[in-house]
Amino acid sequence: MRIEKDMKLADVIHHDFSLIPVINRFGIHLGFGDGTIEEICIKKSVNTEFFLTILNTYHDPQYFPKKHLQSFHTATLIEYLKKAHQFYTEQKIPEIQNLIFRLTEESAQHKDRYQLALNFFKEYQEEFTRHIDREEKLVYPYIYELEKVIESGKVPEKLIRRMEAYSIMDYEDEHDNVEEKLFDLKNLIIKYLPAPSNESTSYRILLELFDLEKDLREHARIEDMILVPKVEAMEFTIQKMIR
Amino acid sequence: MAQKITVIVIERSYLLRSGIEGLLKEFQGMHLAEIYDGTEKNLIQKINTLKPDCVIVNPKAITDSLNTFVRSVNNEATVIGLISGNTADHIKSRFANTLHIKDGKHELMNSLSQIIGRKKNNKAPNKNQPLTERELTVLKNITLGLTNQEVAEKLFLSIHTVMTHRKNITKKLGIKTVSGLTVYALLNKVIDIQDIEQ
Repeated sequence: MRIEKDMKLADVIHHDFSLIPVINRFGIHLGFGDGTIEEICIKKSVNTEFFLTILNTYHDPQYFPKKHLQSFHTATLIEYLKKAHQFYTEQKIPEIQNLIFRLTEESAQHKDRYQLALNFFKEYQEEFTRHIDREEKLVYPYIYELEKVIESGKVPEKLIRRMEAYSIMDYEDEHDNVEEKLFDLKNLIIKYLPAPSNESTSYRILLELFDLEKDLREHARIEDMILVPKVEAMEFTIQKMIR
Repeated sequence: MAQKITVIVIERSYLLRSGIEGLLKEFQGMHLAEIYDGTEKNLIQKINTLKPDCVIVNPKAITDSLNTFVRSVNNEATVIGLISGNTADHIKSRFANTLHIKDGKHELMNSLSQIIGRKKNNKAPNKNQPLTERELTVLKNITLGLTNQEVAEKLFLSIHTVMTHRKNITKKLGIKTVSGLTVYALLNKVIDIQDIEQ
C-alpha cells in the first residue's frame, strides 16, 4: 500500500501500527482525531511531502523515495533523524535494558548467565551511543556547512580540505554494523541462554529487539537513500564551484 | 551446572530399598523417581514413561525373563544389576554395570560415581556442542582477544584457514561479533570468566 496525503491517518495506523513511534517523532501523538494526513500535517506544521516519504519508507521496504528528494530542506531531515536517535537512546534501549535486568532478577538459578547478556547489551548500548554521537557531532555539522556554502556561493579553504579528507561516501561504508550485535543477542536468547523462569519476560525482550532492529533498518535506509544522495549532490555542486 | 539424573530402583526387600535410597542421597543431582518391587503390571511401560537415566534392579525381583527386561528398558537408561555372592554367572553377565550387595559404602559410592560419570561424559559433548575440536580451539583463542593473525601463528595455521574456521563458527552458531562469541564461549564453558579478566 502506498500511503497518500488524502488517507485518514487513523486508517494508516490500523494498517501498520509500527508507524506509531514514527509519527511521534513529528510531534503527532495518539488521540490525533479523524483527520487526513494532509489536514493533520498542516495543523502540526509538518511538511506533508516529507512526512509521507518517511512513512512510506518505513512501511514498504521496496519504496524508493527518489522524486521527493529535493522537496524539503536538509535541516528538516536531520531534525527528524535526531528525533529518532533520541527515541532509541532515551526510550527503546533503556526499556530493553530494564527487561534484561528483570531477567537476571527473576532467576536466581541462572543469574550469572543472564548477567552476561546484560553486559553484552550494555556494550551494545555504548557502541550505539558512540555511533550516534559521531553522526550528530561530526556528520550533521558537515552537512549544514555544505548547505551554507552553497547558499552563500563562497567556498572557504577549510571546507575544501575537509572534503578531501572526508566525504559522505565514507559515512555510508562505516554505517553498517551496529546491527550485528542485536542479531547476536537474539540468537543468544533464542538458542543459548537457559530457559527463563518467566517466559513472558524473554518474549517481551525478543519483541522489543525485533522491533528495534526493524526501526534501525528503516532508519539506515532513510539515511542511505535520502540523506546520502542529497549530500553527494551538494558535494558535487561545491566541487564544480571550485573548478 | 549440576545435571539431574533420574533413577529408578526395583527391589523387593525393604531394607535394601532404604539402603539404596540413602546411598543415592549422597550424590548431588540424583533424583530417585520411583521404587518398584517388581510385581507391578506393565512394569516396563511404567519405567520407560519416567525416562530414567539409571535403573537399579535386583534380578531376583524380575518375575519375567530378565533378558527381555534388560532389552526392553529404554536405550538411554543404564541398567545396573544389584547382585550378591550367590548370583549365578549367567545372570551377572546380563548387566554391563553391577553393584554388589555386600560391598561397603565406600566401594558402592565409587562404583556408582564411575557409572554416572561415564554417563555424563557421553551425554555432554555431541548434543550441545555443534563445533569441531579445531573450531573450539579457534573460538577459544578469538574470545581471549587474539587477532586472526595471532591465532594463525599460535596454531600453525594459515590465516586463510583461520578465517574459514571463523566463518564456519559464525554460520553454525548464528553469532557474528566477537563479544557475542565470548558470551557463547562463557555459557558453554569453552573459556572461563577469569581467562578474559586477565
